[in-house]
Amino acid sequence: MLLVFKSVFAAALGAALGLGATYLAVDRGLAFGTTQIGPWKGQTRTGGRDVDPYTLAARARNGSTPLGPGEGLAFLADRDDDGRRLESRCDYAVIGDTPAARFWTLSILNPDGSAPALPLDQPWFTSSELVRGAQGDFSIAVAARARPGNWLPAPKDAPFVLQLRLYDTPASAATGSLAAAGMPSIRRGRCE
Amino acid sequence: MKADGKRLGDRLASAALWTTAVATIAGITHIASILAMPRLAPNDAFARMGRLAPLHQTTPLVAAAPFDDPALAQAVCRYDLSRAPTRLRAALSPDALVTLSFNARYGEIFYSMTDRSATRGRLDVLLLTRAQLDRVEQEDSEDELPQELRIVSPTLEGFVLVRSLAERVGERDDARRRVASVACGPDGATARK
Repeated sequence: MLLVFKSVFAAALGAALGLGATYLAVDRGLAFGTTQIGPWKGQTRTGGRDVDPYTLAARARNGSTPLGPGEGLAFLADRDDDGRRLESRCDYAVIGDTPAARFWTLSILNPDGSAPALPLDQPWFTSSELVRGAQGDFSIAVAARARPGNWLPAPKDAPFVLQLRLYDTPASAATGSLAAAGMPSIRRGRCE
Repeated sequence: MKADGKRLGDRLASAALWTTAVATIAGITHIASILAMPRLAPNDAFARMGRLAPLHQTTPLVAAAPFDDPALAQAVCRYDLSRAPTRLRAALSPDALVTLSFNARYGEIFYSMTDRSATRGRLDVLLLTRAQLDRVEQEDSEDELPQELRIVSPTLEGFVLVRSLAERVGERDDARRRVASVACGPDGATARK
């Protein structure tokens, strides 16, 4: 009788632990094939046929439709260059250049991937709208209050993440070529 | 004393056995649930598209999926190859970015491309099953290369996402028009033959 009870308990505990691990892995977006270049995390194998089961499971759960490898590459950043979490009370500057791409966009999203509620502002920037410096480099101010020049409006009192997307890029999922090509850096400015 | 030591050893062995059993069950459950997720998830992209768009009709997507790029206009074409291959056709403008990703039933993106891979400003894609491809290839003429891009779908059902970038805020309507202009439907020519 005790043995039966113990077996049932072991099975239930094992199942609970296994499902718990699945929940954490899928919910926290623990996926393989993630490349980190500076503050940017790229899901370089979200598409294509070599996609891993964790990525597929996470995608099935949140219903997202990521870019295929032939379309471009997407990168997320939830921290600045120094590893501090992005905060809406701080100003940031996204500086530098991107790997070669026909077009790229930089957008602000809520940490869960939904669009932030900014009724009056446009929380994204395309490469065509950008004002560049003499050397072809750029600086985009990410701040809750309006800035002159390239300004990406951040939400006022909410956490956010930055998404950089490269469209039609020769930079491939092979991480070496991307790291060499150089991704923009995210520098923290003044905080309130 | 000696008996106590033996009992402690027994208890440790028993605890180790039960721990191993729990860990094994946890591992199996974890792997099985991860692998089953694409087939069981009620709100995956395929299910969402099924609610938003009719079959074989390019439908603009208004609500964004998580991590979508807000600068893009998107449309979806749901396909079902059980009767005939699906054909996608569009005239593309040379400068505007248009991208396509071909999504199988369980989340796999089996092909993706941009307008750059279109020939002579025209997009002409024939989406088919392996068996349909064999049939189509048999009918190909020997001395002429096929003008269309043929892509084999690993599943009978799926959807094609068409995206186009609005380079500037004022160009959103153009981007919407571009994605809506991609015609999608069962391939008439192949069905007739």
